[in-house]
Amino acid sequence: MSLPRRIIKETERLVSDPVPGISAIPHDDNLRYFDVLIEGPTQSPYEGGLFKLELFLPDDYPMMAPKVRFLTKIYHPNIDRLGRICLDVLKSNWSPALQIRTLLLSIQALLASPNPDDPLANDVAEEWKKNENTAIETAKEWTRKYATEKS
Amino acid sequence: MSAKVPRSFRLLEELEKGEKGLGAESCSYGLADNDDISMTHWNGTILGPPHSVHENRIYSLSLECNQDYPDNPPIVRFISKINLPGVSNINGVIDSKKFPMLKNWKRTYTMEMLLLELRREMGSSSNKRLSQPSEGSTY
Repeated sequence: MSLPRRIIKETERLVSDPVPGISAIPHDDNLRYFDVLIEGPTQSPYEGGLFKLELFLPDDYPMMAPKVRFLTKIYHPNIDRLGRICLDVLKSNWSPALQIRTLLLSIQALLASPNPDDPLANDVAEEWKKNENTAIETAKEWTRKYATEKS
Repeated sequence: MSAKVPRSFRLLEELEKGEKGLGAESCSYGLADNDDISMTHWNGTILGPPHSVHENRIYSLSLECNQDYPDNPPIVRFISKINLPGVSNINGVIDSKKFPMLKNWKRTYTMEMLLLELRREMGSSSNKRLSQPSEGSTY
């Protein structure tokens, strides 16, 4: 199976010029399937955490957005219990001008600024709106518990 | 040749189809545990086919999608008792050697296709009049 030039180029650049705090490495047996690591942004409840994700480039990429989900448990109003992410650029606002790296940066930005008004995990969003401080504490606790070396 | 969809994204596609009820009306399926990030254990139901002994009955099943899914089929088990060739009368497990769709499994097959094929089998001329355990009994 030949890999489109666009994907080869993107992969090469992800390796040679990585985005700070983000890594994406394709599987040897499926070059459209990436293991992704994202560092929690500083001054966010996810600071100090290292989050594992998986990303897949479907047949119609880049006309269609990549598929991405979190594998590390995370307490965030826009990420559900299966790791699915609610983010506009993954859906209606995807454009072929975007790339894997810009998408991963958007996900990192989503960690820095949760949006409880457009929730995917309803119970988390409720808590976030009702009692933001408690929600942030829970997010920090989950980060320590599930997203650090020791976990 | 098309891109090979990894297990988890394939299961997420199936989950979404099942959640939104976009598939056939005569069967349904979903995750047994909504917190299970590995998406291994699923529940399924089959609505008994019309003009058979199964008419108006609802059958519960469990489906186990292991790490080798969808390259290999899920392990399928009837929870509701049923009398059907290839289904163990001890624990409801379907013998993959006796059920052609499991035996000749292809990566493109889905849990929905499997449930519909089981339903077709339940309503086939050789099976539709088999005497059945009492309704609602389970293994």
